[in-house]
Amino acid sequence: MKTAPQGLVVAGFSLLLLLAVLSLSFGDVRLSPGQLIDGLLHRDEFAATILWQIRLPRLLVAALVGAALSGSGLVMQAYFRNSLASPGLLGVSAGGAAGAVVAIALGLASFSLFAVPFFATAGAFAATLVVLLLARRGASTERLLLAGVALNALLGAVTSYVLSAHTLTYERNAQVLFWLLGGLEDRSWEHVWMAAAVVPGALLLLPLGRPMDLLSLGAKEAQSLGVDVSRLRRWLLALSTVLTALATAVAGMVGFVGLIVPHILRLIVGPEHRRLVPLSLIGGAVFVVGCDLAGRAAGGLRLGIVTALVGGPFFLWQLGRSER
Amino acid sequence: MKTALRLENISVPGRLHALSLSVDAGKVVGLIGPNGSGKSTLLSVAAGLPPGAATGRVSWGTEPVSTIAVLERARRVAWVPQEARFEFGFTVRSVVAQGRYAHGDDGAGVDEALARFDLLAVSGRPVDRLSGGERQRVLLARAVATAAPLQLWDEPLASLDPRHGLEVLALARSLARAGGTVVFSLHDLRLAQELDFLVLLEGGGLLAAGAPAEVLTPDRVRAVFGVESRLQSGLCLSLP
Repeated sequence: MKTAPQGLVVAGFSLLLLLAVLSLSFGDVRLSPGQLIDGLLHRDEFAATILWQIRLPRLLVAALVGAALSGSGLVMQAYFRNSLASPGLLGVSAGGAAGAVVAIALGLASFSLFAVPFFATAGAFAATLVVLLLARRGASTERLLLAGVALNALLGAVTSYVLSAHTLTYERNAQVLFWLLGGLEDRSWEHVWMAAAVVPGALLLLPLGRPMDLLSLGAKEAQSLGVDVSRLRRWLLALSTVLTALATAVAGMVGFVGLIVPHILRLIVGPEHRRLVPLSLIGGAVFVVGCDLAGRAAGGLRLGIVTALVGGPFFLWQLGRSER
Repeated sequence: MKTALRLENISVPGRLHALSLSVDAGKVVGLIGPNGSGKSTLLSVAAGLPPGAATGRVSWGTEPVSTIAVLERARRVAWVPQEARFEFGFTVRSVVAQGRYAHGDDGAGVDEALARFDLLAVSGRPVDRLSGGERQRVLLARAVATAAPLQLWDEPLASLDPRHGLEVLALARSLARAGGTVVFSLHDLRLAQELDFLVLLEGGGLLAAGAPAEVLTPDRVRAVFGVESRLQSGLCLSLP
């Protein structure tokens, strides 16, 4: 018998809390549990500065980014009925990054806090539309991945062009490079607010578990069983694209989260989305906070590098398994 | 006699041409015709599913389908595809329980449907690891679990062994006796001979509809299917 989802949700939150405490304590300046509490309560001004200015925003951004990417991956897998679909492989992350890079290059980022997320969302939606055109629903893994390869290359070219066209403005190029690498360095409360829209997005996703089950077994069947398929698809696509875009806007290109987390959870709790949706959101947060912690422990490896180091081999293993 | 399903002047480009048909409630109806004659398309259009008919009108009872909400449709009509691809390893039980989606309950009638299709023993198994015949029974069980009065099945007997095939037929008869209507496509003309009503399609058009003896005349069978037919005693199968 499978473990009750409530139990796993509690376990997930406990794990997240544990990692959060570690993440807040660990760093160039190590904080003891006592200092941690004093800092959070502003009784120790030195610790308070570290926690409130640096570590807490970073932690929150990490958790939001993880939940967003993982939830987005889960939705894409149900939508395309393919367990290898994910924002990174399909090029939706690249679309978000290209949008963000254009916003930075045009100097819009300094005008408004929302310019980068807005452009990232526009880029991600453009990429989603192209994927839809290239790989119809229920498309084979090959077709889907080839569409992703093509799109990633195309959007990479956009980003490269922006970089090469702005070689003289070093500052902007440094910002652009940040998006290409994906990381959580210097995340501030501004970024937390930018990513905060992940929370309503995730809440909107929660009640869609049951219809996602039906959709993942076939659109026509789902429709015949009472799911308004075209409406559900619009919702799923919009939510997964916005979630990916928000994550990309605040943390750049972070790969494999949306592939790896739903996959592992599916192995543990089975394919039912009523369980997978809440667990993927929490699991994504756990995974990214954990990867960030590991990267910092390894002497400052950026988040995108850590997730790629974990996700790359995992993806190849999965691909080998799906050959069977 | 109440009408369960009415199709008026249905056209689907390249598939069906100006087809009209009316099916009475309480009947087991066989849909026959050569490959590519439009059987699957007709069932899908009759179920009110996309892409739907380009022209014409589908009604269930007296109501046009277009006026019925999607959720309500699922309580009135069940549709079983010819084949299904399962990407994820849902258990047999959870797939059958999907039939209750429109009712908002998970349990009602699921065990009964599993038992009817001999699936209780495999109810915990993932559907992506079943044989073709078992998969077909899962889809049928899901359709029956919806408790919809109009059941539209696309070649439900295609990959079933003799006993399960006869059981499906017996089930269709008991649903019809209870006032339901079952329309299904099949290729076995000997079996078709025993149903209440037959619909014969050819090239996307309706060739004949009526009692089996009227529809399956030797001349027509030769013209449509290219085979000679005659009645004679042969191997006869029935449930013990």
